This record gives sequence, C-alpha cells and structure tokens, in this order.
Amino acid sequence: MEDKLVVISKMSKAFPTGEGDFLALKNINLSFAKGEFSGIVGPSGSGKTTMLNIIGSLDSQTEGEVKVMGYEIKELSSKQAADLRSRHLGFIFQTYNLLPVYTVYENVEFPLLLLSMSKEERHKAVMQALEWLGLTDKIKSRPAQLSGGQCQRVAIARAMVKQPGLVLADEPTANLDTENSLHILDMMKKLNQELGTSFIFSTHDQKVIDYLRRVIRLVDGEVVSDDTKAR
Amino acid sequence: MILKLANRNIIGNGKRSLINMFILAIVLVGLLWMMSMFYSWINLSKTQLKEWEQAEGMLWQKDYDPYDAFSFDKSLAPISTDQVSAINAGKAVPILLSQAVAYPQGRMMPTVLKGIPYSQSLLKIPSSYLKDTGDGLVPAVIGTGLAKTMKLEKGDILTLRIKDVSGVYDALDLSITHIMRSPVPAIDNGAIWIDLDTMQQYMAAPGYASQIVLEDSSLMSLADENWLYKSRSVLMKDFNEVLQTELASQSLLFGLFLFLAMIAIFDTQVLSLFKRRKEIGTLSALGMTQQQIIGLFTVEGLLYMVYAVLIGIVLGLPLFLWFGIKGWVLPDSYSDFGMIGFTETIYFKYPIWIILLVLGVMFGATALASWLPTLRIARLKPTDALRGKLK
Ligand SMILES: Nc1ncnc2c1ncn2[C@@H]1O[C@H](COP(=O)(O)OP(=O)(O)O)[C@@H](O)[C@H]1O
Ligand SMILES: [Mg+2]
Repeated sequence: MEDKLVVISKMSKAFPTGEGDFLALKNINLSFAKGEFSGIVGPSGSGKTTMLNIIGSLDSQTEGEVKVMGYEIKELSSKQAADLRSRHLGFIFQTYNLLPVYTVYENVEFPLLLLSMSKEERHKAVMQALEWLGLTDKIKSRPAQLSGGQCQRVAIARAMVKQPGLVLADEPTANLDTENSLHILDMMKKLNQELGTSFIFSTHDQKVIDYLRRVIRLVDGEVVSDDTKAR
Repeated sequence: MILKLANRNIIGNGKRSLINMFILAIVLVGLLWMMSMFYSWINLSKTQLKEWEQAEGMLWQKDYDPYDAFSFDKSLAPISTDQVSAINAGKAVPILLSQAVAYPQGRMMPTVLKGIPYSQSLLKIPSSYLKDTGDGLVPAVIGTGLAKTMKLEKGDILTLRIKDVSGVYDALDLSITHIMRSPVPAIDNGAIWIDLDTMQQYMAAPGYASQIVLEDSSLMSLADENWLYKSRSVLMKDFNEVLQTELASQSLLFGLFLFLAMIAIFDTQVLSLFKRRKEIGTLSALGMTQQQIIGLFTVEGLLYMVYAVLIGIVLGLPLFLWFGIKGWVLPDSYSDFGMIGFTETIYFKYPIWIILLVLGVMFGATALASWLPTLRIARLKPTDALRGKLK
C-alpha cells in the first residue's frame, strides 16, 4: 500500500447531458505504483482524458474513491487541488499548451514560480530540465519559433522541472511524426528510469503502446484488460 | 511574480494593449485638465469676488435683501461711531444703495445706484474716478456690461431719477468718467457707482449706509441691532450653488468619458478571457489557484493604467505646463453654458489632492473593469477551459 501512488476503487464518472447523465467511466478499480510507466489505451471517446483529469485533480469522480498521493480527490478544495498539482503532478498535453508570450526558459520556469524557490534554485532546475530534453540552445526562443517536437520537449521539461512524483501525459504524440514521437518517448522512458518519476499516458498510438510497461485497455468507460509486460 | 507574468502578457498583447493605454491616458489627461481648470477657475473667481465685492465679509443693514430691489428703500441705517472709526482707519467701506431710474438716450431703464467713498481702496472698484471735478455733474463709474446695455461711453451724460428718504423724487445728471471692466458679473453688469457723500446728500441721508464692507472678519464685532454680519461663506452661497450645478453637469460628461474607457478595458478583458480559455486551463493544470489566475488577469488590466500614467505624463506634461504658465482665457461663449462668466486669464494649478483624486478614481475604475470579467474564471472548470480551444 505504501508505494501506491494512485488508488482508484469503484469509481464512476457521469456527465450531465440533455438526455440525463452520460456515464463516461464505469466502476473503475485500478492502482498505480511508484515508478510505473503505464498507459490507458482506448479509442477516442473511451474516457481516457476523463480518467487523467480526475487523477490530476482537475475534475472529480461522481462515485467511488480516487486517492492520489494519499489525498482523496473528491474531498480536496479547489485550492488544495491546485496545491497538489503544483507540488506533485506534471501535465503533458496533446497540443503542448505552452504559454505563447513566454520564452522557452520562462515556460519551463513557470511551475517553479508557484513554489517558493529562490532565483538560483529555479535557474539550476530549469537548466537541468532543459539539458535532459536537449533544449539548452533554445532558451530564448518562443513557442511559435519551434517545431512540434521541440514544443512537446519544452512541455515535458516544464512537467519535469519540479521533479513531480507523477506525470500525466494525454496523447502526447498525437500531433507528432514518428521520429519525434520516438524521440520524446525515449526521453520520458529515460527520465522514468533515472528519476523514478511515474508516468501515466493516455493514447491510442501503437508507438506509445510499444513503449509502455503496463497497458490498461479502456472501452466505453470500462477497463477491459490490464497487462504488465515482463521486463 | 504575478506582476512579472502580467507584464509579459500585456506586452504580448501588442496593438490592443497600446490602444487601451492611449484611451486611458487621454481620459486621465482630460480628467486632470478639467479638474484643475475648475479648481483654478474657482480659486480665481473667489479671489475676484473678494477683491471686487465682498472683502472679508460685510455688514448688511438688517432690512437689506439682495433679491428684493424694493427693500433697498428702507435698508439704510446710520453708521455707528465705532463703525465710523473703522471706516476712517481704512478698515471698512460703507456703501449706500438705492433704486433709481436712468434715462439713457431718452429711454427709461430701472437700475441701482450705489454710493461708495471715492477715497476707498479696499475694493478694486476704481472709485478715484468718482471725485467731484466741480463741473456741476456727478462723476459716475459703470461696468462694461452696463455700458453696453445702456449704450453709454466714457464722457456721456446720463440723467437719473432717485427718491430720497422722505419719498421726494430728485433728478441728477451724471457724467460717466470711467467704464470699468470687472471680472465679477454682478459688478460689471450691475450698478451705477457715484461718490458716497454726494449720494447721501441727494438722498437726504447724511451718515447713512446700506452695507459696510470689512477688511477683516474680526470686525464682525461692529455688528449691532441695525447691522447684521455676513461672513464670506454666507456671501458665497449663491456662487457655490451655481458652482454645484456646473460641476454636476461637467462630472456627468466626464463620467461618461470615463465609462467609455472602462468599457474598452472591460471588453479587452472579456475578449482575452475568451481567447485564453485554454491558457487559463493550462495555468490551472500547472497548479495556479483560481485566486491567482483572477489576480493575474486583474493585475494585467491594472497595468494598462500604469502604462497610461506614463504615457499621460509624456503627453500631458507639456499641456499642463502650458496652461500653468501661459494661462487660459475662458471663451466668452462659456457664460452661455452656465459658467458664471468670470472671463479673466486662468493660470492652472495642480494641487496634489487633485492629482491623487484623479489617479485614485481612474485606478479604482480600471481595477473594477479588469476584475469584474475575471469572475467568470471562478465559474470555469479547468477541464472545460482546457478543452476550450480544441473545439
Ligand atoms: N464535460 C463533458 N460533458 C459531457 N460529456 C463529456 C464531457 N467530457 C467528456 N465527455 C464525454 O465523455 C466521453 C469520454 O471523453 P474523453 O474522456 O474525452 O475520451 P477520450 O479522451 O478517450 O477521447 C466522450 O463521450 C465525451 O463526449
Ligand atoms: Mg482525450
């Protein structure tokens, strides 16, 4: 139980719609340990994003329990949830979601501004993250000047800079070509091994699936399989 | 931190930011200009009223009612010995009033005759022109306004009919020895001035007066059962009332102006919140609290004002210096707008309280216009915000 990062039990998520509630997730029972490199795999509309959003405390379940780092998501105030995200969670999005008016450096520095860190500490952490992702020569660039692959690397650096316990990556390769996809997957795998950061992906990209150690298949909001590859 | 972020965003917003800053800067300069114009104008007017009419207060004969010309006939009383010594010491000036009928160029016009000692120097009325020249005519001074209505020029002779204290009518021939230009409308358009002694003789009321103008408010002790003390603030009541209506209408105008500027800010905020939904979602995912995000956007709006102040200083300083040093003459037409019509050069003054007031009002209004739209952030779920732009 100690090294369980996320514990989900009997969890359901309903969205109110015009014709009654729509059940996006149904009776989910899952747990994720520290250091996992796992993915929620399923077709579009199967509930992957909804699941990541709940684990990421951006949303909350309608039924059951979801514990992230010991915190019950449903019971967090919006301020506590923000605090949890700020300290322990990193997000990577399909559309990168970089802040367009900021430079690469400023984008990566941003999460650290929310934590009370000295300028020197921030600088050290930002430079290290940029080094991991091979972006040290792009410090002063703005997102508009970068390729998609570079943008996603900046986004990964931004997620990693505070060395969170868990990174949630929602279809991170969906907008990238094969080469760039493999490149960022390599990097994330390396970070997972070297820093012990846990990753949970959502994807329906075979390239990503090949990299995952654990594949949880989701169909219509239900877990249909949960396989961990042997090392 | 928030300040740094907000600043980056504003600069990133480019042209639209610049337009907002300029609108705010113009309103700021305009508001400051109007406020100091009023302030300087009021100050000037008060000084003029003091110098030409009120000094530091007056004694009024107890029956005198400035709104009732018929009261003038009975509103005269003997000047007491104490009052006489103050007058002789040059600390007070008696004035005698009477209704009169003038016959300029054969027409008949009711008017007011005022007697003032030709030797006085307390009021700016050029009374030295009232000294008898021995030509059998009574020297008289009128304002440019009255000269215009009566079509009189310097050197003209004017016949006047007055009633003495016993009700007997008498006629006298005046010689207009001077036409004075007074910035105080009541003086410029009002009475015909002659020497007090002469008037007392014609009125058969030697030693009588209707008003005594005082050099110092401490002379209020000269009031007695015949004489009521009117302080300057009492005398200013009319002026202040006119002022209030004027201020109200001008404030309305500028309130509108300010309102439009706030709409611009409000609009920018609403638009930017809409365009930046995904960014708001991202900020939230990165761990910013709603309060922080609201703060960020509000500070962004407020920063427009900070830049507007800088632009305002650059644009406004030459303007303000010009009006401060070169002054400004209210156009004549201003009196048609309800200004009281003191047409003298106004040298603008910029007291710190006016600057602070204008800045305070503008910052307050900008803060409100920046903050109100951000309240919808609180209603925006981070998940919806994140999906915002994908659609
Ligand atoms: N806020 C919402 N309101 C209503 N329905 C939603 C909402 N968010 C997601 N859904 C629905 O839930 C289902 C799962 O969505 P999502 O988690 O985004 O799927 P995936 O990420 O696997 O494509 C979809 O049918 C989607 O339309
Ligand atoms: Mg999705």
